[in-house]
Amino acid sequence: MINPRAVVPYGHVCWSYDDPAAFERRARRFLADGLAAGERVWYVAPGPPEPVVERLAGLVGFTEALRRGAALVPGLDSTYPGGVIEPVEQVRRFTAATEEALAAGYTGLRVVADVTPLVRTPAQLRAFARYEHAIDRYMRLRPLAGMCGYHRAALGDRTIAELACLHPVSNVPDVLFRLYACHPGDGAAALAGELDTLNHEMFATALEHADLSPVGGELVMRAGDLRFIDHNCLTRLHDYAGVRDATAVLRTPWTAAARLVELLGLSGVRVEAAR
Amino acid sequence: MRTGAGAGHEGYYHEAVPYRSDEELLAVVLPFLLGGVSAGEPTVVALGERTATLVRAALPAGSGVTFLPGGDLYARPAVAIRSYQRMLAGYLAEGARQIRIVGEVPPAALGVTWDWWARYESAINHAYDSFPLWSMCAYDTRITPSAVLRDVLRTHPRVVTADGRRPSETYTEPKAYLSEERSPVPDPLQRTPPLVELVDPSPTQARQAIHQVDSGLLPTDELEDLVVAVSEVVTNALRHGRPPVRFRLWVGADRVVVAVSDEGGGPTDPFAGLLPTADGGAGGLGLWITYQSCNHVALHRGQGAFTLRLTAGNPHFTD
Repeated sequence: MINPRAVVPYGHVCWSYDDPAAFERRARRFLADGLAAGERVWYVAPGPPEPVVERLAGLVGFTEALRRGAALVPGLDSTYPGGVIEPVEQVRRFTAATEEALAAGYTGLRVVADVTPLVRTPAQLRAFARYEHAIDRYMRLRPLAGMCGYHRAALGDRTIAELACLHPVSNVPDVLFRLYACHPGDGAAALAGELDTLNHEMFATALEHADLSPVGGELVMRAGDLRFIDHNCLTRLHDYAGVRDATAVLRTPWTAAARLVELLGLSGVRVEAAR
Repeated sequence: MRTGAGAGHEGYYHEAVPYRSDEELLAVVLPFLLGGVSAGEPTVVALGERTATLVRAALPAGSGVTFLPGGDLYARPAVAIRSYQRMLAGYLAEGARQIRIVGEVPPAALGVTWDWWARYESAINHAYDSFPLWSMCAYDTRITPSAVLRDVLRTHPRVVTADGRRPSETYTEPKAYLSEERSPVPDPLQRTPPLVELVDPSPTQARQAIHQVDSGLLPTDELEDLVVAVSEVVTNALRHGRPPVRFRLWVGADRVVVAVSDEGGGPTDPFAGLLPTADGGAGGLGLWITYQSCNHVALHRGQGAFTLRLTAGNPHFTD
């Protein structure tokens, strides 16, 4: 039984890179933190594992962790089977892996994965973006942490942005908003940053990828860190909730949202003051 | 059937009442109001406190006239249009054949912010024309500057005084009137170096600039509304204007002033800002939101640039 209020480490990081060596340096720190915290760690990479194992040999404790099963270097194809990922099935795999790590006495599972090959086509991107939010929800509840690597030169800024905005943390500077999981008891999702006319299409895409489910006819967006939302994005939210026969409830300290909703007559959005 | 001067007229019957004394105001307005009540027409007074008191005292007790606080209605032109349209639609839905309203803009509106009220007076000839409305706009000639009175005559098709009713000889159709260049009164703050000056800022940078100069001068709601307005105006300039987009910001003792310029011609819709663009295109909705969100918005075309000046706080500056 999952306790939605359980306090678990929550680390879901999007890391876009131009230089693979820079990505690996950041990945090493991510893995080192996991090993120090008693987690099982995976470094998922395309191609054979041997070169990766060789490069990571310099990471303190990694070789020893590999030996005793605390660290693994699984292949990308075996970890994410199929050309186009199936989100529910993939979450199930990581659920099993996380529970297995816990059963083996680890405090959780931490995964670094360069998933660039999995988002090259529009169909792959759609499926993987949906998976990103689905696994983000799982990470909110159970001790699974992930660092998703994306090669910017191979994917382009738009693809990177579509993926980065679905992570609570990213290193992508131009992504102004984030849509990520919150505790189910707090709402359908969390919304942070700035939403304006220049990114309202990306916001709509993020909402589609997140595929949020209303509860009791309400789609509650926890938006305590929302600094700005304009009329276009409020209209997007209104339409999105409407398709789901729900009222969008935006809990935000940004009080202008309430005035815009009234001004635009958006009956499907209710703004509640939040700190 | 419509009654009184509006009988047989279709749409909006718009009259100016330039009155020279309280007695003259009452002489024109009382028959208008009592005639509306006796005809069973919704009859509304939206005057300032002093004149409303005057009219109320002159009406018989339980006259049936509805009094609205004029100060609230006339806070901002776009807000007034929206409020009135909603009220008129309500009366129409209840079966009204004609609605009578006497209103007046607050005395402060006759000063440096008159430019947007002049646009209001012209635009409502169009904005209210889908309603069987007969309205009188009262202007006290003792306190109304002559330039304002000239605009009043150009924006009202008819004039009524104690001497009678006549067409306004200088009345100008809204599309023509609103297309004229009307330079706003320069804010003295604009003669000083701006506190912030940005070229081709992103909407995010423009929003940040507002937050960075916030020193608690504006209440939170007003600050956020200015951020909304600035974001819309900069977005419009970037999308529909011509570069470079120049953003300047001044902070005075009682107000924040932002001017956003680009080298385009500005919106082509003469009703821009006062009414939302029907198809929501070309930045029309954003400019309408801007007009709802600021205490003054001035449009200006000149020296090869189109400029929107936004004021939060007290827009009624003195030199």
